[in-house]
Amino acid sequence: MSDGKARPRRRDRGGRVVAAVGTGALLVTVLFPFLWLLQMSVRPNEDILGYRLLFRPTLEHYQALRVGQFPRSFGNSTLASVASTLLSLIVGVPAAYALSRWPFRARRQVALWVLATRMAPPIAFTIPFFLAYRHLELLDTVSGLVLIYLTFNLALVMWMMRTFFDSVPKTLEEAAWIDGSSVWGSFFRVTLPLAAPGLAATAVLCFVFSWNDFFYALILTRTKAMTAPVAIVNFMQYEGWEWGKIAAGGTLVMLPVVVFSLVVRNYLVSGLMAGGLKE
Amino acid sequence: MDDAVSNVLKRGPAVAVPASPGWAAQRRRAFLLGLAPALAVLAAITVAPALYLLLTSLTPLNLVRPEETAWDFAAPWANFVELATDERFVNSVGVQVRLSVATVSLQLLAGLAVALLLHAGSRFLEAVRSAFLVPMVLPPIVVAIMWKVLYTPEISPVHRAAAALGAPFSSLITNPGAALWAITLADVWEWFPFTMLMVLAALQMMPDEPLEAARIDGAGPWQLFRFVVLPLLRPTLVVAALFRLIDSIKAFPLIYVLTGGGPGTVTEVTNFYAFVQAFNFSYWGYASAITVMMVAGIFFLSWLIMRGVGMEVDVE
Repeated sequence: MSDGKARPRRRDRGGRVVAAVGTGALLVTVLFPFLWLLQMSVRPNEDILGYRLLFRPTLEHYQALRVGQFPRSFGNSTLASVASTLLSLIVGVPAAYALSRWPFRARRQVALWVLATRMAPPIAFTIPFFLAYRHLELLDTVSGLVLIYLTFNLALVMWMMRTFFDSVPKTLEEAAWIDGSSVWGSFFRVTLPLAAPGLAATAVLCFVFSWNDFFYALILTRTKAMTAPVAIVNFMQYEGWEWGKIAAGGTLVMLPVVVFSLVVRNYLVSGLMAGGLKE
Repeated sequence: MDDAVSNVLKRGPAVAVPASPGWAAQRRRAFLLGLAPALAVLAAITVAPALYLLLTSLTPLNLVRPEETAWDFAAPWANFVELATDERFVNSVGVQVRLSVATVSLQLLAGLAVALLLHAGSRFLEAVRSAFLVPMVLPPIVVAIMWKVLYTPEISPVHRAAAALGAPFSSLITNPGAALWAITLADVWEWFPFTMLMVLAALQMMPDEPLEAARIDGAGPWQLFRFVVLPLLRPTLVVAALFRLIDSIKAFPLIYVLTGGGPGTVTEVTNFYAFVQAFNFSYWGYASAITVMMVAGIFFLSWLIMRGVGMEVDVE
């Protein structure tokens, strides 16, 4: 047993200040492209390319987005991402646990298959899905998007969660079994809570990957089910280079994923085995 | 039974499982129940499309003339024969290889370096950890727009700053010598946090005992890293590299928005070429053949890598 995380040995204060300043400088450099787009979205049109830090921010670009297809595309993105994340977790998490704990003969083949699915490039799914959707009337529908998002999300859940379950010691659930718990009873009461940081990480990645998808939505949707990333690119192609509007649209599209990821971030850093049993 | 169990428990937890045949069968059924739905869904959305793709690649399917070209297996190998002499295809493979090698290796280095920097443990570093994740969680299309702004000389703050400092330079994305590097830079920026996140998670889960033991034995920071941390991180790094290699082949939005595959075909990767053949020229049969070659290439390469580093698919 250990009482939580090991603390690194105390360093001298000067070294830590240097490290902090260096990290801060690195952070600003890394985030520059992001910050630049952010400020463009609130800069007035007359001064859209300006670089003075002092300016009167405006919401005119955001207001311009309220008309047209953008609000609807935003809703489509939300619906498709949430539905796909939930569906892949419900189907994939129990499977990942079985893959982690059940040494059946074809396990290696199944793991290979999951990995192969994760490897295949999107175009390999897009071509047959597009051809099939023409007959299934799933082109330009959110359901069609949810279905094709499963091609990457399900494999992601099975692969990632299996790794997380592998690192949860079997001792704890074996103790639960001895106390008369069923396989899935001990899974939900013991193993899954210990793998919660992994589950959170996986859910975030599923949501983010679905929300961020551009390729599938570009090809499988037209107008009705168009997602927000495709809508922004349409600003570029059909409405000229209106940088303020593009920046505002981009900000709205990136905001949910950034906020969502940062909220769940805390679960990721709290160690998987904090307070748990170690051998 | 109770005595047996408590005896086993006293001896140690590793074998403390009831070993009756009834329990084994019950476990098997439970695991099967968990696994079967996922495998059924996976088969429907992966195996069926793969077969569809394979069959389409053996036809001259053209959606401009679907009646004449759909399911026409008169010359099944025609597409593949044509691929062998298609210079644009061969070029696209070369572009892909250069892009993948550059982005994956730079992302591993950058991700590992930043993760080690941030793992040091001070409050401040913990607070900025999440900020470093931002590039990865941004929608790739927004990343592409950000870099389009930076790479377009008329509006780019970088170009204007360079001009103000007396060192103006022309657009990178329209320069055949620099366009691929421009995309590499944007891609490394976007995805180094993936490696960073995986390494940080692995560092969090890393058992304390080996580190403590090495410290007690008098190991310095570099020795700790080289002989304790790095070997423990190796599986994580291999998985990260594999994931990034696979995903580097999907780098579509950056190329679509920044260069459109140009100038000429300098940044046209195989993925983009297949897209152009299907969705711009409507040659679906030919695009399917390109894709089949691509998938085969990816699988072969992954197999080579996993063999090379001795990685088992069953991570035990």
